[in-house]
Amino acid sequence: MLLPLKASEGFEVRIRIGGPAGFGIKAAGQTLAKLFARSGLETFDLTEYPSLIKGGHNTYHLRVGTDTINSHVLDTDILVALDHETIELHLAELGTGGAIMYDPDDFDPLSLGIVDLRPDDRCMVPVPLKTIVPEVGGPAIMRNAASLGAVLGYIGFPFEPLQESLETQFARKGPAIIEQNVAIAKAGYDHARANECGFPYRLQPVPENGKRLLVDGNEAIFLGAMAAGVGFYSAYPMTPASSLLHLMAAHGEKEGVVVKHAEDEIAAINMVIGAAFGGTRAMCATSGGGFSLMVEALGFAGVSETACVVGVFTRPGPATGMPTWTEQSDLRFVLHASQGEFPRVVLAPGDHQDAFDLTWRAFNLADQLQTPVIILGDTYLSDNRRTVTRFDGSEVNIERGLLVAEGDLAAHPEALDPQGRYARYKDSPAGVSLRALPGVIGAEQIVNSYEHDERGFGSRGEDAHTRVIQNEKRMRKLELARDLVPPPVRFGPDRADLSIILFGSTKMPTLEAMRILQREGIAINILQIVTLWPFPAEEVRAFLESTRRTAVIEGNMTGQLRGLIREHCLIDVDETLNRYDGRPFSPDQIARWVKEVIQ
Amino acid sequence: MPTPKDFMTSVKPTWCPGCGNYGMSEALRRALAELGWEKHEFSVVWGIGCHGNGADFLDVAGMHGLHGRSLPPAAGLALTRPDLQVIVEMGDGDGYGLGLGHFVHAARRNVRLTCITHNNQIYGLTTGQASPTTDRLMQTVSTPQGVLEQPVNPIGLALAEGATFIARGFAGDIAHLTQLYIAALTHKGFALVDVFQPCVTWNKLNTFQWFKERVWRLEDRGWDTSDRTAAFDLSLSTFHALTCTPDECTVPIGIYYQQEGVPSYGDELAAASVPGYKQAESPRDINGILDAME
Repeated sequence: MLLPLKASEGFEVRIRIGGPAGFGIKAAGQTLAKLFARSGLETFDLTEYPSLIKGGHNTYHLRVGTDTINSHVLDTDILVALDHETIELHLAELGTGGAIMYDPDDFDPLSLGIVDLRPDDRCMVPVPLKTIVPEVGGPAIMRNAASLGAVLGYIGFPFEPLQESLETQFARKGPAIIEQNVAIAKAGYDHARANECGFPYRLQPVPENGKRLLVDGNEAIFLGAMAAGVGFYSAYPMTPASSLLHLMAAHGEKEGVVVKHAEDEIAAINMVIGAAFGGTRAMCATSGGGFSLMVEALGFAGVSETACVVGVFTRPGPATGMPTWTEQSDLRFVLHASQGEFPRVVLAPGDHQDAFDLTWRAFNLADQLQTPVIILGDTYLSDNRRTVTRFDGSEVNIERGLLVAEGDLAAHPEALDPQGRYARYKDSPAGVSLRALPGVIGAEQIVNSYEHDERGFGSRGEDAHTRVIQNEKRMRKLELARDLVPPPVRFGPDRADLSIILFGSTKMPTLEAMRILQREGIAINILQIVTLWPFPAEEVRAFLESTRRTAVIEGNMTGQLRGLIREHCLIDVDETLNRYDGRPFSPDQIARWVKEVIQ
Repeated sequence: MPTPKDFMTSVKPTWCPGCGNYGMSEALRRALAELGWEKHEFSVVWGIGCHGNGADFLDVAGMHGLHGRSLPPAAGLALTRPDLQVIVEMGDGDGYGLGLGHFVHAARRNVRLTCITHNNQIYGLTTGQASPTTDRLMQTVSTPQGVLEQPVNPIGLALAEGATFIARGFAGDIAHLTQLYIAALTHKGFALVDVFQPCVTWNKLNTFQWFKERVWRLEDRGWDTSDRTAAFDLSLSTFHALTCTPDECTVPIGIYYQQEGVPSYGDELAAASVPGYKQAESPRDINGILDAME
């Protein structure tokens, strides 16, 4: 039977696997993503799960195709339903002609009483998982292998890449387990081939593309930090930053990174400041709740002019909020966190390539400016994997700024006061002073959380004149920062029906929406603000003044970016799209909204 | 080789005349000089409080951190700079109030550093509130009914969490304190020296005179520093009645407990054996990690 199929954007297949937590849904989905990536295809996945270990509804969505894929979508072509709830929740996303894979021993989708589900417009693909698995003698968890086989069989993808992938995955468990998994996967594959309803998408490997690298945002940040020569990483587990701790811990000992799971986030950032004082490139990362605990120490890093990198990966707050979901509501928080005034840099990666690039650059900026640099991400970026061109480590350079790590300070008379003593906080036109590490002969200094004089003495920092000199010296570094930080990036045509300003991971679905709209003859262009602090007011103003109709898209309720634009550019945008339900913007939501506002 | 005086900066100390911190800083400078440590061979991290004002008076490359948070940066520094000796100076309010969690974890972590507590059993810098080590029922501006809690027992806590060097000193016995510091500074692991340091301005109970009538040296009575259980019993001498006479309560000073040969945290990590700044001399080659990820 050949069913009419809803047009897909480009040549691609969208797969959703859904079921209860504890079924290994994410792991199964990632196996699929990896074998597609190894076969030269483009992928983007979205995992959605509640903050539970067992129970609750989990889904894994995967786009795979031959063209560039910028974000997730909600549309689905193949729905793998490991329970009937998956069908009830996600049927609306399954286009006409889409396939439902299910285990006929569990339930019959047509007898669930779902009004919109008719056998003549969806392809029913029964895969008797519960029968296949015992036939080859495997445990229930091996059902995932049958599901994966069924998906590949259905789209006519060769079986061999899955076999190779299972062989790698279970290499340590021995040939018997591998054989079982392969047999189960093959049985699923054959079942789907026999029930394919003439599915028109035939995905094949693209060997000439070579292997594509598959990373989530935390993996990209990890790789950026490693390339930058990170030597100390400390954190306390907090979703969605925890996987960064796991990566650092797994590789740290071999790569020369001291990794400490600290007793709390207060300890984590203070350890980072101590390591940074010793000259080590040091980083911590957390989400909003953990960052709340780090706030005082952020100010300590600022006043003590300590170079360090802090990752803040937002999830919906306040307090414990929605731990496994996404939001962009910590923008104002990271800009203003900690009492008093001190310079900071805030960088917001928009996608996985940005995450790699901005992380290694963050370490350079921290060293050049001797001040904390915040990487502002979110769950959508941290958790979801996409294919990228293999990161190029040869593009990474290391700028440590004014640093003396070894030797004798006598060789650096410019850093000494008239009495010949080291002046750690010596005033300078750019606001940055020469940093000599402990261990350097003659580098006696007090790196101080109190206001201090040029040598670091707290008791002399309360002098009014000294305070003004030191305060102005520190804040002057923001002017230097303007010359060093990455500027906003523009996408799309010069002239557009709507000009959109955004930051962070909203870049991904908005770029995808731009393509959707383009096909419908609607032009949008985008200004991605990469560095949120110091705020690029001039560039934003120029963009706003060059456009007809302007908008901000941001994942919070109160319009934090919109307010910043108004504050710094004295211009308000015409339209805003906000989202604060814990879900990322989807491209179709953005495209629909654009069409509404330009009418 | 530096003399004790060489470790002094040009800043004139601002502690009250008669403050116990003078004796403590003198003992530390003597210990450093006796050990022959050069200024670039060690670092000191201070918390916030009267003790922390001492950051201005010791000539070293050090860090004056946040209230209650001197142990974490010291651990970060010690684990990434194996070429430096690291000393922490903290107060009783600072280290056993806000910083108590860090203290307990530092004890079980056994990072190689020396933790010196300026224990005056009162908040001095904030004008005389009860601290975590103030004696039960003592009246202060924040406890007009008297302190209704037991004092923190830092020695007992450190013992419970497996600290490998635990000592108590008295700021009025500089010669003895100097020797305690030398033993702590040469210990290969986490070393605690909790020092009773009378506050002449705010603590009218635990005065120099009060301590002089009560302190005794453990080594004078042949104390066995390897007996952890006995050390714990001894630590309970922290708890005494407010009005106890010198016969009823005494203050033992000296090394309560020492365990040698336990690997420190950094000893067990290859990554902690090289100064961390060397990791960033050129970009790290990530090709091996990338190959494994593909």
